[in-house]
Amino acid sequence: MAKEKGHTKLNLLKGIVIENPLFVSILGTCPALATTKSIEAAIGMGILFSIVLICSNVLISLLRKLIPEEIRTPSYIVVIATFVTMVKMLANAFLPELYSTLGVFISLIVVNCIVLGRAEAYASKNNVFDSFIDALGMGVGYTLALILMAFFREFLGTGGFTIGKVLPIVPQAMTLQIIPKGYEISLFQTPAGAFIVFGCILAVIAFINNRKNELKTNLERKEKIRKLNEAKAAAAKANNGGKK
Amino acid sequence: MHNMKKYLLTAMTLGVIAASSAAIIGLTNLITKDKILENEANKVKDGIVTLFGSEAEIKKEQSITDYKYVNYAYTITNATSTLDAYAFKTTGSNSYGKISLLIGFKKVATDYKFEAVSIIVDEQTFASTLEDNYISTINDGSRNIDDVTCGATYGATLVRDMIKDAQSVISSGILEG
Repeated sequence: MAKEKGHTKLNLLKGIVIENPLFVSILGTCPALATTKSIEAAIGMGILFSIVLICSNVLISLLRKLIPEEIRTPSYIVVIATFVTMVKMLANAFLPELYSTLGVFISLIVVNCIVLGRAEAYASKNNVFDSFIDALGMGVGYTLALILMAFFREFLGTGGFTIGKVLPIVPQAMTLQIIPKGYEISLFQTPAGAFIVFGCILAVIAFINNRKNELKTNLERKEKIRKLNEAKAAAAKANNGGKK
Repeated sequence: MHNMKKYLLTAMTLGVIAASSAAIIGLTNLITKDKILENEANKVKDGIVTLFGSEAEIKKEQSITDYKYVNYAYTITNATSTLDAYAFKTTGSNSYGKISLLIGFKKVATDYKFEAVSIIVDEQTFASTLEDNYISTINDGSRNIDDVTCGATYGATLVRDMIKDAQSVISSGILEG
């Protein structure tokens, strides 16, 4: 039971941190660059993406034994496209501002390699519960990654944060202006700014990973030296004992 | 015979998946259709207010056929009848996606002059570039509508053609009221 809990936790964390689709696997970068102008748009995109990923992973896992090998990929694409179309219609009807803001990028979830990749690599080989947890982890991981990018882009590009404009969280849109008007760097609102933010985040992640690896290597080296010294000391002791 | 059975089974499975998908999409369309139409109608109303001010109201709505981009024409007035204008709901698409606009023309002296454009739906890939570099600049009058080189030239060309289509509806004389 405890082992199973640990497996589920690891499966969930895998998508959020260890195998984060955007920052580790570098997948789904196109919508990440295009929809991260504001935190609200990033949250919206993340939620819609997660819904499609969870629903398609669960359904594909359910149907995995019924779908013949020859039509595996076309069937997965039909399933994913169905959920994307549903999500698009529902967003158009009930979240029109989000629909207008995300535009074509909702439809483009169909060709997002994370969705087809998880269907192909995970849902088609695992049970429904594990596939659900995997999709949840990946969805949350992708959403958090989008929010992180949007945080820097909105803050530096507009000088503050706006809530209630895209998502109906509050009755009236509110803007918190932190950097005075005229001092914001509007470059961060452009695609070039998105690339810069994305590159900086990847660089920080690579730096942290390198430091981690260095520390690990140093520790291993120290452990080896310690063991070698211990062995030498033991051998010397044995030699001294022999002499006596 | 064995192969035939396998082929049939494969085809049937794909057929069932496709039919189920179609049914689910149809059901979703049934649920969302009215709400989407209501949202679009609200966007047209909001667009008219953006183009002509809060006093503006629709006097007459006319369906337009035989034109490439124009779907509807709205005759606009206000309570004191000092406003004489037209708004056109236009829809077009290119390889970068769909765009739906409300284009306003206001009567100045004897002619109807282009007033501004209000966006209903913009699914263009370069939507923000098109809106920031072209639509907002033709709206504030700092750019000529024929000057489409703006970083989203294909989208701007489509918008320009939509405006010209609306202009040709006015000059054709088919508008009533």
